[in-house]
Amino acid sequence: MSNPFDINGGACVAMVGKDCVAIACDLRLGMQSLTISNNFPKIFNYAPSTYLGLTGLATDVNTVSDLFRYKVNMYRLREERDIAPQTLANLVSSSLYEKRFGPYFVSPVIAGINPTTGKPFICGFDSIGCIDFAKDFIVSGTASDQLFGTCEGLWEPDLAPEDLFETISQALLSAVDRDALSGWGAQVYIIEKDKVTQRLLKGRQD
Amino acid sequence: MNHFPEAWGRPRNDVYGAYDHSYLQTSGPKAHTSSPAVTGTSVVGVKFNGGVAIATDNLASYGSLARFSDVKRLRNFGDKAMVGFGGDVSDMQYLDRLLDSMDIKENYSHHGNMLNAKNLHTYLAKVFYKRRSEFNPLWNHVLVAGFDGQGEPFLSSADLLGTTFSAPHLATGFGAHLAVPILRRKFPEGTPLEQVSKEDAVEALKECLKVLFYRDARSADKYSIAVITKDGIDLKEDEQIQGQSWAFAERIRGYGAQTA
Amino acid sequence: MTSLMGNHSGTIGYSFSEPTSANVKQHSFYPYTDNGGSTLGITGADFAILAGDTRSTSGYNINSRMVPKVFKIGGDDETGEGANIILSVVGFAADGNALKEKLDTMVRMYKYQHGKSMSVGACAQRLSTILYEKRFFPYYVHAILAGLDEEGVGALYSYDPVGSYEREQCRAAGAASSLIMPFLDNQVNSKNQYIPGSGEGHALVPKKAEPLDKETATKLVKDAFTSAVERHIEVGDGLQLVIVTREGIEEVFHALKQD
Repeated sequence: MSNPFDINGGACVAMVGKDCVAIACDLRLGMQSLTISNNFPKIFNYAPSTYLGLTGLATDVNTVSDLFRYKVNMYRLREERDIAPQTLANLVSSSLYEKRFGPYFVSPVIAGINPTTGKPFICGFDSIGCIDFAKDFIVSGTASDQLFGTCEGLWEPDLAPEDLFETISQALLSAVDRDALSGWGAQVYIIEKDKVTQRLLKGRQD
Repeated sequence: MNHFPEAWGRPRNDVYGAYDHSYLQTSGPKAHTSSPAVTGTSVVGVKFNGGVAIATDNLASYGSLARFSDVKRLRNFGDKAMVGFGGDVSDMQYLDRLLDSMDIKENYSHHGNMLNAKNLHTYLAKVFYKRRSEFNPLWNHVLVAGFDGQGEPFLSSADLLGTTFSAPHLATGFGAHLAVPILRRKFPEGTPLEQVSKEDAVEALKECLKVLFYRDARSADKYSIAVITKDGIDLKEDEQIQGQSWAFAERIRGYGAQTA
Repeated sequence: MTSLMGNHSGTIGYSFSEPTSANVKQHSFYPYTDNGGSTLGITGADFAILAGDTRSTSGYNINSRMVPKVFKIGGDDETGEGANIILSVVGFAADGNALKEKLDTMVRMYKYQHGKSMSVGACAQRLSTILYEKRFFPYYVHAILAGLDEEGVGALYSYDPVGSYEREQCRAAGAASSLIMPFLDNQVNSKNQYIPGSGEGHALVPKKAEPLDKETATKLVKDAFTSAVERHIEVGDGLQLVIVTREGIEEVFHALKQD
């Protein structure tokens, strides 16, 4: 358990639906088996429909989320427009690879809708910036094995926003209930073209 | 120059380190095999319509030294089955004696030797499993070829841990990496056994041995091959790999600076 | 050159007169291996299902695409006929086979000695004892035992390698257990599901887990395995489904992806 990715715990998942995407995370922050907080969201917002989920070492989650807030602000000032999820993906990838031999211990997930094309987009990364462009779902965190199982079993193509919410919530809650280091509530974002719905899930508190 | 006669003819200690003679110890804890010594490499086998073919090369290596170049690693169990041995040669010889004595004992019994290849494989697997459970393993991976109780072709594997599995074609050691893909391509799984002729099977094994000889540094081009059918065992022990073509070798380039 | 001249008596080995400090040699032999694969069991009101994939692996190699992990216990030697208990083992296959044979022998001896079949409950306790007997050199397997209890209700017992056991509705074991188990929690035991419109927020009423019928359970098993095959390299090739009902034991094989 000296793996830096497993010290604080946490899980994150993103899914594609029909003209919508969803991203969800748990709320736990721990030190090994001791829970420190049940209010540690791991999803960060960088544009009206661009979201970034970060699991891994909590100190790096904070550092990296702040770093991207700075970088995305600079992008918006220079470009005078919001960042698209695809652009953020390349920014995340290159920023992580800059630290190739002393990486941030995070596994990022991006979910969003491209502001120009209106197409849903999700992707995931390893800690040194290799992008995984998936068409269905992306999982990360200490419950990633469990999430792979639940997502592979529950997900289907072209889910409407409400069905996508139910699917991602069931997938996340059932997955974190089988992981000792994740859980203690969850946060879900359903992202549509001009509308984002945020929901808090209680989940098991043990 | 060292003037002490007891040091003459020894590797220099300051260069090679002190000679490790711990193996000559007669007291102390009882030592078991913790690594093989003289070893044989791959065994390959394939089932065909009406029988099984199995082959090995005739080399026994001592580390990277090609120590014995005329070692027969296919051993018969009466006229019923063949066992192809990979791994430690001394353990192979022990097992061969064990099987021979069992064959003799069975033949003296009133019903004669009724044990088939399947029975033999079960027995060998249990010997392996027993020895591994005593932390004193027989360092082998074997293929057993012959017929089962229903008279169907039988080919199965057993290793030093007692792990067993069966498939239409099998290979041990390096062959698991190099020969199995060739055999699976020639005879895709699900192919009815009736569609695999004896000639094709033998040809495929020869091809596998050739590829193994090209790429397995512990292999040789002298080999043994056994074809087991209802008519009995056809064992050839002094074969030579035919039709070698080393043309590909000229095109191999290493990872370092290319000088040619 | 002083080293050659100086301490000769210490460095030159005399095997006969100067035994070296007998440093106890460590065994480098490791008696276990992992043969991959996954198993899964579900029970209902009048049946029990045990399923497993048929792939056998060592490392990245596929040993064979057809090695069953589910066995009939206490039946005929060759066919398994007459059995009413089934066992699945996943982990180290050689230990799995040894365990299966030991339990099979004991259940058959019980029948010869008592003139009646062993109940699943008794067999479950016996299996626990067999595993615990080797507490300090364990069978490296995750076992699941299934059958019908004295009331004819599906019974399923799952074990850890040293014999700790529990009766459950469903259980996944082996390489892809971490993928399959949360899916089962959700779909079999209705975990995290609530009755729509039964209340607002915390007042929502949790959905009760209803016993599944055989067809639904079979479907879930297939879904669970096709999902596991997608994401776990040690799972694939074939799916062995063994179902115990009052009518007896039914065994079917389905194809799984071979990649």
